[in-house]
Amino acid sequence: MAAFIAKRLALALVTIWAVVTLTFFMVRLMPGNAMSYLESQLAAQGGLTTSEIAAKVQEAYGVQPKGPLWHQYLSYLGNAAHGNFGTSILDPGKTVLSVIVGALPWTLLVVGLALLVSFVLGVMVGTLIAAFPQSLLAKIATGVVSFLAAVPNYLVALVLIYLVADQEHALPASGPYALTVTPGWNVSFIGSVLQHAILPVLSYVIVAFGGWALTMKGSVSTIMGADYVRAGESWGLSRYRVTRSYIGRNAMLPMVTNLGLSLGYMFGGSVFIETFFVYPGLGYYLVQSVNQRDYPVMMGCFLLITIAVVVSNLIVDLVYPLVDPRIMSPGRARRIGLTASGQAVEADAQTAGRSAA
Amino acid sequence: MKFFRDLWRICRGDKPALIGAIVILIYIVVAIAGPFATHVGYVKNPALAYLPPSAKYPLGTDFLGNSVLSELIIGTRPIMEVGIAAAVMVVTVGVIVGLVAGYLGGAVDQVVMRITDVFLTIPGLPLVIVIAAIVRTTNPFVLAAILSVTGWAGLARAVRSQALSLRTSDFIDAAKVQGLPLRNIVGRQLLPNIGPYVAIHFLLAVTDAIYAEVGLYLLGVAPITGTNWGIMINLAISQGALYTSQSALYLFSPMLAIVFLQVALVYFSRAMDRLFNPRLRVQ
Repeated sequence: MAAFIAKRLALALVTIWAVVTLTFFMVRLMPGNAMSYLESQLAAQGGLTTSEIAAKVQEAYGVQPKGPLWHQYLSYLGNAAHGNFGTSILDPGKTVLSVIVGALPWTLLVVGLALLVSFVLGVMVGTLIAAFPQSLLAKIATGVVSFLAAVPNYLVALVLIYLVADQEHALPASGPYALTVTPGWNVSFIGSVLQHAILPVLSYVIVAFGGWALTMKGSVSTIMGADYVRAGESWGLSRYRVTRSYIGRNAMLPMVTNLGLSLGYMFGGSVFIETFFVYPGLGYYLVQSVNQRDYPVMMGCFLLITIAVVVSNLIVDLVYPLVDPRIMSPGRARRIGLTASGQAVEADAQTAGRSAA
Repeated sequence: MKFFRDLWRICRGDKPALIGAIVILIYIVVAIAGPFATHVGYVKNPALAYLPPSAKYPLGTDFLGNSVLSELIIGTRPIMEVGIAAAVMVVTVGVIVGLVAGYLGGAVDQVVMRITDVFLTIPGLPLVIVIAAIVRTTNPFVLAAILSVTGWAGLARAVRSQALSLRTSDFIDAAKVQGLPLRNIVGRQLLPNIGPYVAIHFLLAVTDAIYAEVGLYLLGVAPITGTNWGIMINLAISQGALYTSQSALYLFSPMLAIVFLQVALVYFSRAMDRLFNPRLRVQ
C-alpha cells in the first residue's frame, strides 16, 4: 500500500514538473518569444529606459530576461515552487497567484458538481439498462445515451445558451452569481451561485452521463453472467444481497478507474464551458490570457488545471483500495490467486476508460 | 476480401453501424468533391445577408450574403483533413511506442511507460490550447501534430499490455521455433492481434481531434482564416447569432454537421469492435 501511494505521488510530482518545464521552454524558445514581444511592446510605447524595460519584464515573468536560459529556468522553477508566478501583463497590479487562486473555487465547484451528478445519473441509468435489457425503455435509453455521449460538450453549451437563457430568459447564462447579491455565507448568495451553476453543470452532464451509463451497463451485464453471481443466487441469498454485494460492488470497479481518467477531460472541458458562460474559473482565464498574450497568467492557469487533475487523480487512487481491497493487501490476494484477475480488470478498465471519457 | 465481407455482414445486422458507415462515406465524398462542386465567393452584399432558405440558398445566407450550404460543403475538407492526419499521427506514435515498450520490456519499458503516464495525466485540451496559442499555425499538418500531442498515450498503453501478453504466448513461440522471419512475426502474428485496438482507436482519435480542432476555432485560438465549421460557428456567435433567431441556420447547420460526423464515427467504431472482438461477434 505504501509503495503504491509512493509511486502515485512520484508520478504526480513528475507530471507537475513536466508541465512547468514544458510551458517555460515553449514560451521562451518559440519564434516570437513572449518576453522579447513584451520588451519590444514596452520599447514602442517609449518613455522608458532599457533598464526600466528589463525591470518591468522581470517583474511580469519573475526572472531575469537577459540571463542565461538555464539560470532563468532555475529561478522560474524556484519561484513557482514558492507560488510566485510573476504578475499579469494586462493587469500589472495583480499577481498571477491571486488570479488563479480566485478562479480555482469556481472551476472546482462546477466540475465537481458536474462529475457528481453525471456519475450518479450514469450509474443509475446504466444499471437500469443492464437490469432490463429487453424492455423498450432500455432500448430507447441506450440509443439516446450513446448518441449524447458522442456530442461535443461545447455545442451542448451553445444550444443551452441559445434555448434557455437568451430566447426564454429562464436561467442566468453568464457570471458566477447575480450582481445584486453580496458574496458571503448567506442564503441569497448561495442560491444565486447554484442558480448560475445550473447551465454550466448541465452542459457537462448531458454529454458525460452517457459515457458513464454505457460503462456501467457493460460492467453490470458482464458481471451478471459471472459464475459467482449464479452461485450466490443458488445458495438462496436474497436478491438485495446479490445485487448489492455481488454485482454492485464489482461493477463499480471500472467506474472508479474511469473516474480518474475522465478528470482530465472534465477539467479540459472547463475551457469551453467557462468561456461561453463567462464563468470566472481557470478555463475562462486560460482562454482570456491566451487570446490576449498574457503569458504569465496563461502558464499559471495551465499549471493549476494540471495540479487540479493530478490531485484529483491522487484522491481517486487513494479511494480505489477501499473499493477494491485486493489492491490494499497484494500478499493475501496472491495467496488466494486473485492478483492476476485483479490486474486484468484494471488494465481492461483503463483501455475502456478512454471511450467513456 | 474477408475483412470487408465480415464488415458488411456485421454492418447489415447492426443498423446504427451501417448508418454510421454511410454517413462517414458521404462526408468523405463531400470533403473530396465539394470544392469542385461549389465555392464561397466572400461577397460583401448587405442586401443578401441573412436571407431565408430558398432554391438558390437552401440553407439561407450568412451575415455577408454567402450561401451557408456552400460554406458548409467547403468547410468539410479542412476539418476532415486535420482530423484524419491527427489520428494517423496518434496511431503511428501509439503503436510504435507501445510495441517497443511491450516487446523489449525491462528498463526501456519502465522509462517509456512512466513518460506515457505523464502524458496520460496532463489535461490534453488545455495543453493543446497553450501550444496552439504559442505556435499560431495555419498549416493543417502542424495543427494535426499539435492536436495529437497527448492522444497517443492511451493507445500506447493498450498496445503495450497486448504486446506484453503476446510476447509470451504459444503461437509466437511456435512462429519463432518454425524460424519465421521477423516480418512474419510482426506482420502476421502481432499486428492482427493489436489491429482491433488500432482500428477503434483510430476512429475515436478522429473524433477527439475534430472535437479539439473545432474547439480551437470556437475559442479563436487557431487563426480565423478561410472557411470551416469551427470558423462558421465562431463568426455566427461574434455576429450575435445566439441572441437572434434570424441567423439560426448559420449557427446550427455547422453544429449539426459536426454532431452527425462525430456520432457516425462512434457508431461505426462499435461495428469495428464487434468485427474484431469474437466474444461480441454475431455469427
